[in-house]
Amino acid sequence: MTDDERPTILLIGSGPIQIGQAAEFDYSGAQACRALQEEGARVVLVNSNPATIMTDPEMADKVYLEPINTEAIAEIIRKEQPDGVIAGLGGQTGLNVTAELAEEGVLDEHDVEVMGTPLDTIYATEDREKFRDRMHKVNEPVPQSVTIESMDEVEEAVESVGGLPVIMRTTYTLGGAGSGVIDDMDELKEATRKGLRLSRNNEVMITESIDGWVELEYEVMRDAADSTIIICNMENIDPMGIHTGESIVVTPSQVIPDKGHQEMRDAALKVIRELGIEGGCNIQFAWHDDGTPGGEYRVVEVNPRVSRSSALASKATGYPIARVTAKVAMGKRLHEIENEITGETTAAFEPAIDYIVTKVPRWPKDKFRDVEFELGPAMKSTGEAMAIGRTFPESMLKALRSSEYDPAVDWTEVDDATLESEYLERPTPDRTYAIFEAFGRGYSVEEIAGLTDIQEWYLERYQEVAEAADAAAEGDFYTAGQAGFTDQEITAIAGGEFNDTHRSWLPADVEVDDGDEGTEAAADGGAATESTIPDSVTVETVEAETTDRDFKLVDTCAGEFEATTPYYYSTRDPVSGIDRDELMVDRDVESVVVVGGGPIRIGQGVEFDYCSVHAVRALREMGIDAHVVNNNPETVSTDYDTSDGLFFEPITAEEVADVIEATNADGVMVQFGGQTSVDIGHPLEQEIERRGLDCEIMGTSVDAMDLAEDRDRFNRLMDDLGIAQAEGGSATSEEEALELAQEIGYPVLVRPSYVLGGRAMDVVYNDEDLKTYIEEAVRVSPDKPILVDDFLADAVELDVDAVADGENVLIGGVMEHVETAGVHSGDSACMIPPRSQEIKEVMPRIREVTEQIATALDTVGLLNVQLAVRDGTVYVLEANPRSSRTVPFISKSTGVPIAKIAAQVMAGVTLEELDIQEQIPDQVSIKEVVLPFDRLPGSDPRLGPEMKSTGEVMGTAGSFGKAYQKAQMAVGKPIPLAGTALVDLPVLGYEEHFETVDLDDFEDTDAVVEAIRNGEIDLVLSRNREILEACVEETVTYFSTIESGEAGLEAINSADEPLNVQAIGERPTDQREWGR
Amino acid sequence: MTDAYLALEGERIVEARARAPGTANGELVFTTAYTGYEESLTDPSYEEQILTFSYPLIGNYGVREERFESDRVQPNAVVARELTDDVAEWLEGEGVPAVDHLDTRDIVTEIRDEGAMKCGIAAGPDATEADALEQLHQCKHMSEHTDIVAQVSVSEEIVYNEGGDGATVALVDCGAKGSIIDSLVERDAEVHVLPYDATEDDIESVDPDLLFISNGPGDPENFERAGEVVDTYVGEVPIAGICLGQQVVANALGGETEKMEFGHRGVNQPVRDLRTDQVVMTTQNHGYTVADPGDDLDVTQINVNDDTPEGLENDELGIITRQYHPEANPGPHDSLSFFDDVLELAEE
Repeated sequence: MTDDERPTILLIGSGPIQIGQAAEFDYSGAQACRALQEEGARVVLVNSNPATIMTDPEMADKVYLEPINTEAIAEIIRKEQPDGVIAGLGGQTGLNVTAELAEEGVLDEHDVEVMGTPLDTIYATEDREKFRDRMHKVNEPVPQSVTIESMDEVEEAVESVGGLPVIMRTTYTLGGAGSGVIDDMDELKEATRKGLRLSRNNEVMITESIDGWVELEYEVMRDAADSTIIICNMENIDPMGIHTGESIVVTPSQVIPDKGHQEMRDAALKVIRELGIEGGCNIQFAWHDDGTPGGEYRVVEVNPRVSRSSALASKATGYPIARVTAKVAMGKRLHEIENEITGETTAAFEPAIDYIVTKVPRWPKDKFRDVEFELGPAMKSTGEAMAIGRTFPESMLKALRSSEYDPAVDWTEVDDATLESEYLERPTPDRTYAIFEAFGRGYSVEEIAGLTDIQEWYLERYQEVAEAADAAAEGDFYTAGQAGFTDQEITAIAGGEFNDTHRSWLPADVEVDDGDEGTEAAADGGAATESTIPDSVTVETVEAETTDRDFKLVDTCAGEFEATTPYYYSTRDPVSGIDRDELMVDRDVESVVVVGGGPIRIGQGVEFDYCSVHAVRALREMGIDAHVVNNNPETVSTDYDTSDGLFFEPITAEEVADVIEATNADGVMVQFGGQTSVDIGHPLEQEIERRGLDCEIMGTSVDAMDLAEDRDRFNRLMDDLGIAQAEGGSATSEEEALELAQEIGYPVLVRPSYVLGGRAMDVVYNDEDLKTYIEEAVRVSPDKPILVDDFLADAVELDVDAVADGENVLIGGVMEHVETAGVHSGDSACMIPPRSQEIKEVMPRIREVTEQIATALDTVGLLNVQLAVRDGTVYVLEANPRSSRTVPFISKSTGVPIAKIAAQVMAGVTLEELDIQEQIPDQVSIKEVVLPFDRLPGSDPRLGPEMKSTGEVMGTAGSFGKAYQKAQMAVGKPIPLAGTALVDLPVLGYEEHFETVDLDDFEDTDAVVEAIRNGEIDLVLSRNREILEACVEETVTYFSTIESGEAGLEAINSADEPLNVQAIGERPTDQREWGR
Repeated sequence: MTDAYLALEGERIVEARARAPGTANGELVFTTAYTGYEESLTDPSYEEQILTFSYPLIGNYGVREERFESDRVQPNAVVARELTDDVAEWLEGEGVPAVDHLDTRDIVTEIRDEGAMKCGIAAGPDATEADALEQLHQCKHMSEHTDIVAQVSVSEEIVYNEGGDGATVALVDCGAKGSIIDSLVERDAEVHVLPYDATEDDIESVDPDLLFISNGPGDPENFERAGEVVDTYVGEVPIAGICLGQQVVANALGGETEKMEFGHRGVNQPVRDLRTDQVVMTTQNHGYTVADPGDDLDVTQINVNDDTPEGLENDELGIITRQYHPEANPGPHDSLSFFDDVLELAEE
């Protein structure tokens, strides 16, 4: 086919990572790009999120990093003249914008066909009234519900669905924003008022509450010949009423009898046919046992597109839903699409699995102390971890370890009444742990079922885990191993030392020395279990008793066909006599294990998956086999064709070491998976040593990574190098902290040593603030010191990402932060190249400092340096010899793929050999962050030293102002150009465009809030928390820092400049070196 | 925890945990279905076999008689990674040995690579490897169970839905699943379930609108009597068959059947209709297949995975057969319309 004959397909991505829309669409988009190209299409891709793999230049024929709005996409359509657009692979964002493009006539004007699922179907599923009508038409039961458009209709609506409690849902929103189960009329009215405003079509729906029923999802696939199959079903452990994204979910269903399952399967097929969906979709059901052989169900919802659940289903079964969806959209029949896993069957089958998959959400509870993390119909989690096991306990404990979550609860201080009311009855991220605790206290399955509405089958297995822990404390290690505990966990339970990172659950009386964690599961008060085990329990004694992990294949067919794709999970199935080795990896060639980034959470986004995937690609290009260990089902790194061996495992030293042992890997890379992988560096090094494995931790040494995180060692090193640092030190008591702060002079920046994404960091302005901080936020003690630093007010902050090979240093880019010190670097907008004169003047020094640090840390691989510049002095704030969240942004804006280069360097190639030119872009690229305040009611919307953002976008243009405007568009918070602006920050210039008001124009803050609620204010510049919270609730654009306010003004002034959409690679850069 | 042994062909011993005591032998097969264990365990087609579940967790939603396909547990023994107490107690009550706590994926992939194999099993506090081996030595090939039909067929005629408005069906019971009868009765048919050795008189006294050859266990060659019935009435009475029924019909009309490596057992077998190109999911449970349908039968449906015939038809003679189980239970309901089609034949 020549280029002219190839159909051009526009693929719309999902934009930034946010609550309700994580990395799953990077995975589905990347898979779809490949599938479409295989079918002969020319793929034009648009996405605003630079941290994704799908926006890599080689992924599509043209990649646009532009805002996902009608203005930008219409311009892309004019340039590229696509034949078709696929909307169903870009999540709700992709669907919404496609609908808008159709409504505005853009698609018709340019003769662009909507491929796959028709728009009518989208409307029919999004508009609940239409959906109900369609379901009635095919005789499928839906929960009673009424759609209302005004407040007057609330009471009548409640009556017509059978009274309170009811569920209030808004239509056309993401992840169920603004939804809730409500049993109070006043509360319902308030929620309805907000819901009406949030909804795209000013409607909300009041629905019969089917709380407590089992919630299920069916993943369905259909082709144009009407072949329709179920890929799998998924059962939520948490009952109906908790959003499936907030639930612990297993695949396949466990408690539904075949009859009930088949009835729902029939309904799913009927519904997808009625709606005319082609490709993948997802149907939710509620089910309960009403005494009949099959039980009773309701159809709850249809997602007419690839979703988070389909990413999970793809990883859980090995069936690539996005790939098949893309091929179906191109006209292929299911039986014409090869099943790549087996190589001998096709996509026209229903996967059979012979394991159980558990997904555990990951909540940002540690970042938002003000927010109530009660789980309900709206999503609050940022990501998820998945695990595969042969029994439910094994699968669940693996998932808990993978989620890297620690409940910040001291169970010894929780009495039974509180345990019941606050932790069992009330669903929170801690409930799983509370259930274990309750079994430890002797609660029965029936009692806990009564409190939680969780099915007894699951609770019996939670109980089994609690009992296995008891058994381990008594010396029965075999049973605990079978239950899914690691040898390290069992050693800790039995009173020995714990030398690993993440844990599943350990009984409250088990003491574990964390060092780096701010929370403690173990409490002082808990009396140690009376144990017959001597103190000297070591991991060797445990290992001798437990079953070794065996790696089994995910093969889509439960063993019926021989699989050829190396996708594995580990299990401790009993050794019974015939031992079949399913590992197909080549143990005799050079191979490297790349440790991934785990679940998406604040501070650890898709960017680390991007880095991991680049590392894998670099290794494979060099002819080295690359194996991936990761547990995030949403990602490209866990796609079965990314690596030479995919190991879907928790990221702990023990489990990674097992993969190293199984693959006979020569090296392991822990630099790319963010904090998750860096954290295992130390214990993994010990574990490799202990087992006598011939495997090297590649690149920068673990010790150098430690040095960079150890404040005192790092300080000394900087002093030796003559590099300036903010004045500061560490304090081990309140007195010391106060003394230090007075010496430095307020304001000071305070934080615990060993920080993860700026956890519990704050700026304090006086002694009182400091005392409060110590009391409320951290407990300071000799082994948990806090750091007190000069705040460097008014300094300009910078980020530098570089690659070093031990000899030379390649600077990927220097980025200037828009917000100044005091805002976490991960939350600040930043630009490349820097524009302030102050930075340009010290650019050579910036290069010098970066090079010096790289050399001093013996860096081989990536290095991120955070700097501040004040009065011509370059201060170093932090240096991290590993991947950083700005790596993809740098690569996309300069065209220099530094993650890949780093992997090559770590594998032994020199920078000189690679001969790569540094690039300084001619245009301005802005990275702007996405903040989750609208999803987390009660959160403080002011930017501060603690990181709160979930994702990022990129905007590029010829001027700073236009680039900033594009970035704000991409974030979904377009800057209004006129109207009324509340200017409560010292920024001048808005009066030229707006009618400006300030606080003096109002009686008090309440009056301001009232005005915002009444829609009288279009733009707000303020740092007043209440005012900002009102802005968040009412979706009024706001700036909470002076710098962003000024940037916003520049954007407004640049509004008339053309949008100038350009594919990456088309934007000009200069082959110049940074700082030379 | 080892108190049970499996002896596989080649005298290989596999250790396990006893969940229902006893000794047994049979052909070791596996099913990939993860729901429907009650239906599978009561499916007469598993007669003289040892059923391994590839899905590890079996028994999760209890045991309810309404979901049974026959009045007893049919396989000779049961193997799973983890059996719940409910299902273990049921099997013990039925005297069917059951084991768990073993690596069943190893068993399944062994069967995949070497074919369905002979197996002996011994479970319980006194079980020994020798007991399992002894059972292995006693184990016969499926084709050697020449009287198997007598073990699963009714001994005398049973009539369902007597006086029903629909067609009159004579169902030759080779080990019929209850759901086949239910599916016919739901469509108002009067169903006469006849013993496998029903005479021409017996059949003529029913005066059927449709002759139905049911599913059943093992080798179709051992179902000569049912074949004779087909031979006698072909062209006179429309004929339907399911699973072994299809094989019996093909054999009777000059076709040939053969043993498969390890058969099809599961609820996800894709079948494509050659006339519409549509693929549907089907329930299957068979170790033999039609190798050659003979001259009278057209292959109308095939298995997407291995192209084996899934549907045979002859419009003129009024024959429709299916290798899979349209009656489901367990499994998908995608092809329930088969019953409408055959009853339409009966009405003509």
